[in-house]
Amino acid sequence: MESYEVAIIGGGSAGLAALKQLSNLGKQAILIEAGKKAGTKNVSGGILYSKKPKRGRAYNVEDVYGSVFLSDAPIERRITQYMLHATSGNKVFTMDLTAAHEYQANFGYSVLLGKLNSWFAKQAGESAEKQGGGIVSGVHVRSVSWQDGKTVIETDELEPFEAKAVIAADGVNSEIAEMTGARNKFTPEQLYQGVKVIVKMPEEIIEERFGIGQEDGAAHLYAGDVTLNHIGGGFLYTNRDTLSVGAVYHYDSLMQRPAEPYTLVNALLKNPMVAEFVKDEVAVKEEIDRNLPKEEQLRVRFAVSKLVKTWNELRDAYHSPSARKRLVEGGKYKSEEEIKARLDSVRSELEGKYRTKFVTDYVELEYAAKLVPDGKRCAMRKPYYKNILFIGDAAGRGVFIGPRIEGLNVGIDDAVRAANAVARAIDRNDFSSNSMGEHYSQMIEESPFTRDMKEIDKDYLKIFLDAAKDVPKDIIGQRYGMVFKLMSSGTLRGLAVGFANILGYDRLLPLVESEDTYVQVPIELAEKMGKPVVATYEPTLPTIAQRVAQLKYDDDRISHIKVLDHESEFMKKMVKLCPTNCYSMEDGEITLQHEACIECGTCAKETEWRHPRGEKGVNYQYG
Amino acid sequence: MSDLKIAVIVKLEPDFSEGNVSYNADGTLNRAETKSILGPHSAVASSAAFYAKVKYGARIAVTTMGPPIADTALQQAQLLCDADELHLYSDRMFAGADTLATAEVLKTGISKVEGGKMDIVFSGHRASDGETGQTGPQTAWKLGFTFLGNVIDYNVDMQNRVVRARRMISLQGFYDVIEEVEAPLPVFIAIDPSYKASFNTVSQRLAFEKYQKEAKERAQNYKQYLKIFNAQQLGVDPKLVGLPGSPTIVYKVERIPKAKASRKAEVVDGSSRDQIAKVAAKMYEVLGGMVIK
Amino acid sequence: MSAKYEHLYVVIEHEDGKPVPVSLEMLGEARRLMNGFNKKYSANEKVVALVLGNNMRRLCEELIFYGADAVIYVDSPEFQYSRNLVDTKVISQVATNKELAKKFSDASNFIKPRYMFFAADNIGRQLSSTVLADLESGLASDINKLVIEDLEIKHEHKTKGQAVKYEKTLEMYRPDFSGFLWTTILCLDNRNPAIEREYHPQACSIIPGVFLPIERDTSRRGVITDYIPKFDERDLRVKVLDRKIVKSAVDFDSCKAIVSFGRGIKDSSEQNIKMVADLAQALEAEVGVSLPISKKPFAVSEGVSSTYMIPDRVIGTSGRKVAPLLYIAAGISGAMQHIAGMKESGFVVAINPDENSPIKDECDIFIKGRMEDVIPLLLEELRKQKPAIEVKK
Repeated sequence: MESYEVAIIGGGSAGLAALKQLSNLGKQAILIEAGKKAGTKNVSGGILYSKKPKRGRAYNVEDVYGSVFLSDAPIERRITQYMLHATSGNKVFTMDLTAAHEYQANFGYSVLLGKLNSWFAKQAGESAEKQGGGIVSGVHVRSVSWQDGKTVIETDELEPFEAKAVIAADGVNSEIAEMTGARNKFTPEQLYQGVKVIVKMPEEIIEERFGIGQEDGAAHLYAGDVTLNHIGGGFLYTNRDTLSVGAVYHYDSLMQRPAEPYTLVNALLKNPMVAEFVKDEVAVKEEIDRNLPKEEQLRVRFAVSKLVKTWNELRDAYHSPSARKRLVEGGKYKSEEEIKARLDSVRSELEGKYRTKFVTDYVELEYAAKLVPDGKRCAMRKPYYKNILFIGDAAGRGVFIGPRIEGLNVGIDDAVRAANAVARAIDRNDFSSNSMGEHYSQMIEESPFTRDMKEIDKDYLKIFLDAAKDVPKDIIGQRYGMVFKLMSSGTLRGLAVGFANILGYDRLLPLVESEDTYVQVPIELAEKMGKPVVATYEPTLPTIAQRVAQLKYDDDRISHIKVLDHESEFMKKMVKLCPTNCYSMEDGEITLQHEACIECGTCAKETEWRHPRGEKGVNYQYG
Repeated sequence: MSDLKIAVIVKLEPDFSEGNVSYNADGTLNRAETKSILGPHSAVASSAAFYAKVKYGARIAVTTMGPPIADTALQQAQLLCDADELHLYSDRMFAGADTLATAEVLKTGISKVEGGKMDIVFSGHRASDGETGQTGPQTAWKLGFTFLGNVIDYNVDMQNRVVRARRMISLQGFYDVIEEVEAPLPVFIAIDPSYKASFNTVSQRLAFEKYQKEAKERAQNYKQYLKIFNAQQLGVDPKLVGLPGSPTIVYKVERIPKAKASRKAEVVDGSSRDQIAKVAAKMYEVLGGMVIK
Repeated sequence: MSAKYEHLYVVIEHEDGKPVPVSLEMLGEARRLMNGFNKKYSANEKVVALVLGNNMRRLCEELIFYGADAVIYVDSPEFQYSRNLVDTKVISQVATNKELAKKFSDASNFIKPRYMFFAADNIGRQLSSTVLADLESGLASDINKLVIEDLEIKHEHKTKGQAVKYEKTLEMYRPDFSGFLWTTILCLDNRNPAIEREYHPQACSIIPGVFLPIERDTSRRGVITDYIPKFDERDLRVKVLDRKIVKSAVDFDSCKAIVSFGRGIKDSSEQNIKMVADLAQALEAEVGVSLPISKKPFAVSEGVSSTYMIPDRVIGTSGRKVAPLLYIAAGISGAMQHIAGMKESGFVVAINPDENSPIKDECDIFIKGRMEDVIPLLLEELRKQKPAIEVKK
C-alpha cells in the first residue's frame, strides 16, 4: 500500500491553505478533492478578509501564499464601502458600516471561488509537488479506518493508501466527521442556509453605478422585509464584472416557516434598490417569421445569435479598460472610439435588420446555495479525532456576528494551525491524539476567531452604536431601552459586555438573533426614517427550472443520497427547502431525483448523505 | 524513466461537430470550409499512449502522414500524451495514397524512430472521415508487429516484455465478448473507441498531473519537437507510396437512390392535440395494452 | 485455359461452432455474382470458402449447401479462437497455394484469387487489412453493394491518362459517414508502364445484414479440401487467456418498444435527448440512436454523452438490428443504413418537420413537426391515456 505523510481531504480554500503551509514547512502532503478540479464545488458569499486582531494573531491568506497573492491572485475588488440598508416595501434606511468592515482588518476583497480556488490549487499544487506530494482531484474519499496501527484511506476511485496524519477540510457536510463519529451532524439550529446568484454587469458600469473607483468595491447588506420574515439578511457585493447577490438566514427559522430558497433571493432582487443596482441592457431576439423557407429561418437564427453574441462581447470589452487596451494593442481595432463605433453599428444592424429589442433587465449567470455553520452554536470544542484534525466548516467554525460573516479566512487560519501541528507531529513522529490532537486543539483555543465565537467584542459593538447614532432612540428603545442606555455609555459598556459574556452567548443569542432584531426593527426603521426608492423596471426572474438548466452537471447515474424515512416531517419540508427542487411528494411518500443536486446538505440531517463520486455532480463556474 | 518505447499514429481529420462542419450542395464534405483537428480516434490512441508514460515512464513519438498543416494534429496529440518526439511525413509524392500506400510510408517512418526498436505502436480504431480502419493493421503487418485490435485496456509486464490486453469482440448475432490476450512485444494496438485510461493509485495520479503539465508546456513549443521528413529523407520506394502505390481508387460518388417505399405513411399534424391523442392510443394498442375509452 | 487470378475466396467467420450470419450472407452474394460472372464470360470460376477452425467439419458441409463450390478447411487447435497474426499467415498461405486450387479447378496458372470477401466486423475488418497487406493488393471496407463490370477507365496514374479497358472489375460500393452517399472503390492494376503492377485479389469486407443468404440447398455438391498449415513458432506466441461474455447494457431485444433519435435534436441537444428519454420511459422503451449521433456531433453534458451517444445504441447496418413491436424515430431523416436496422419493426412512427425525408416511406405514421413541440404533447396524451390494466410483459 502506498503511504504518505499527510492526507488533506477537501480542496476548498482551507484544505489548499493547509497544503501550501505544509509545503512551506518542507513537509510532504497530498490533497484529495472530489470535484473534477479544485474550485468546482465551492460557493462563498463572498468576501475574503485579512485580519489584524488587537489580541493574538490571525494567519491570513497572504501569510500562506506570500505577497504574490495580492499581485497575482484572481481577487475581484477591494471592498471600500460597506452599507447596511433597512428595508420595508420601497423604503430604505441606510447606515454606513464601513468602519465595522474595516475593524481590525487589513483588507476585504470580493472573491469568486471558482477562479480563486483554482489559483490556490495551482500555487499549493506546485509547492506540494516539490515535496513529493500534490493534488489528486476527481477522487471521493469513502472511508478512513485504522488497521494494525495504520491509518487507511479508501476512495471510490483509487486503491487504498496510508497516511500518518489526516486533515479533514471537507466542509460543513463533512463525511469524515460523520463516518468516524468525531461529531454529530449539525442540526438546523446550528446552521445558516445561504443562496445566491451571480449577476452579469460590465466593469465600468459597476464603477459608475456604485460610485467606486477601478480598484474599489462596494458591499451592500439588507435587513427587513427582504428576508420574508426569516432571521437573516441579504447581501450584494461587487466583483470585477459581476455582482454576487444573495441571502443568508437561520436554517431553523426556515424550518418553522418553510419557503423555497429561491423565493428568498427573488425577494431581494425585487427590492427596488437592489433591482436598480442589478439592471443592465439586454438584447431580446424577435420571433422568426415561420412563413419564411426553412433554410432562411435557420440562416436568420444563426445570424442573430452571432450578432447578439458579438454585441455582448464588444459591450463587455468596451466597458473594461484592460479589454479595450487589449483589443487596440492586438491590432483588432485602431482606437477605442472604433470599438464604440462597431458596437453601435452592430446594435443598429440588430435593431434595423432583425427588429431585435434592447430592454432594461438583468442577466443571471449562476445560481448556488450552501449551508454555513454558526461557530457560536456548533464549533467543535476539540476539533480532532484520533489523528484527524478538523478545520474550517468541517469543524463548524464559521464566524457570525450581526452582519459580520467570516468563513474563508477562518478556514485559512485553522489550516495554518493544523499544518503547524502536523509538521510538529512529523518531527516528533507522534501523531497520537494526546500529542498532535491536543496541541492543535490548544492552538485553536488561541485563535482570535475562536474568541469571537465565544465572547462579545465590546469595541466591535461600539462601532454599531456609533453607526446607529442617527437612529431615534424611541425605535430601538422600545425593545432594548435598558440595554441601549447601558451600551451607549462608555464606562458602563465595558461592564455590561463583561456581564453578558459571563451569561454566555447561548442565553443572549435568542434575544439578539431574533426576528425582532433582524426583521421588525429594520422594517420600522425603514418605515419611519427611510427614503423611497423607485425601480424603473421589473426584473425578469428566472424560474428554478431555468436556473438549474444553467448549471453544469456531470451526472452519476446512481444517487449519492439515500432517503431513510420517506414519510418523516423533516423530509416533507425538504420538498420546499431543497434549493433545486430535488424532492417531491408522490402518494404521501417523499421521492428524490438527484440529478439537479447542488450538494448543499440541506437534507443531510435525515438522509444517508454523501458527496457524489469523483468528478460527478455539480460543477460551479463562478462559485 | 523506463526503456519502453512507444509510437502513436495519428491523423488530421475534418471537425464533424456542429458549427464547424460544412457541406456542399451535393451533400459532400466541404473540406476547404471545414476546420481540421486531431481525429477523435487518434485522440483516444494518444490517451492510451499517455497511460504508458504515466505508469511506465515510456518515451513517446507521435507520427502522421499528411500535408504540412498536419502538424496541428501532432501538436494536439502532444498535449494529450506529452510526446517526446513529433514526426511529420510530408511529400507531394504521398498524396492520393490509399491505405496500403499510407501504411508503407508509416512503416518506413516508424522503423526509423529510436533506431527502429519500437515496443508498442498505437493507432485509433479508424479515421472519422475515411473510416476504413485498414491503415493501422496494414502498418502493423508491414512492421511485422503482432496486431491487437479493439483493445479496451492494456498493461505491460516489463520483466517478461509482454503485453496483457483486453479486447472487445462484437460479432453479429452473438453476445459481445471481452477477450484477454497476452502477446510478446513488439505489438501494434488499435485502441477501441471506448477506451478510457484509468489511473488508480495516488502516485499514478500525481505522475499524471506532472506529465500533463509538462505536456502543456511542450505543446506550446511543439515546433522544437517536430521533425519533418520528405520522401527522400524517409527513403521510401516511390513505387509503393502515393497514387502509384495505391491498388484502389475512388471511381465515383453518387447519392444513394431512395429505396422504394415499403410502408404507406399516414401524415399527422404535430401541432394538433386530437391527432396526437389518436397516435398515443394507437401506440398503446400496438404494445398490447388495453385502452379504456 | 486458366487465368493467373481466378475464383472468389470467402473467408468464413464462426463462433461457438456456428457460422456468424454474415458468412452465409457473403456466400449468398458470392453465389449470385459468380453465377452472373460465369454466364457473362462463359467461365467456370468457383466460390471457395476458407475455414480456419477446430473440429468444424460439419460447418464445411453446410457451406456447400449455402453456395460454396469448394471449401478449404484448415483444422488445428490453434484456430480455436481467432488471432490476427497466425490467421493472416495461414489465409495468405492458402490464398497463394496452387495445389489447393487444383483440387477444385484446372488452376494451372493460378497465382492468387480474383476476388476475396471478408466480413466487415471487428475481426474481419482487421483480418482483411493484414491479409491484403500480405498479398499486397487492394481492399475496400464496409461494402453493401457489388457489381462486376467491364469498365473503361482513364486515370492519371493507373492508365497514364489513356482510356483503358479493365475487364471483370469488381465495383465495390460503400456508404459514407452520412449514409446518403455511395462511394465506389475499384482495385485496379497499374497499366501505366512506368509503375506497372498487378493487383489481385480485388478484396472487400462486407457489412453484416445487407445481403441475403441463398435458400439452403441440400442437393448442392462441392469439394471439401484439407490443408495442413505451416506454423512459425513465433506466430503462435499470442495467447488467449480468458473470454467473458458481456451482455450489453443496452438491451434492445427484450423491449417491446424503441425510441430513437438522430440529428434532429440539434436545436437544443441536451433538452431534446432528455425529452426522448422521458418518452422512452413512458413507453418502457429503450433508447436508440442513428449512426451520426455516435460520433458525438453536438455538445452535451458528459453524463448524457456517455449514456446515449455511444456505439452500443446505434441502430443500423453498422450497429444493431432491431424488430420491436413499436419503433419511434424522432429527428431521424432515414438514411438507408438506419432503415436497414429497423425496417422489420412492427409499427413505425416518425417525428420529423420535413415531409420530404426518406423516413416517410418507411413508417406507418408520420407526425409532421419538430420534436421539441411534438414530444411534450405526445407525452401528455400518453400519460393521460395510461392503460388502467398493466401491460403484461
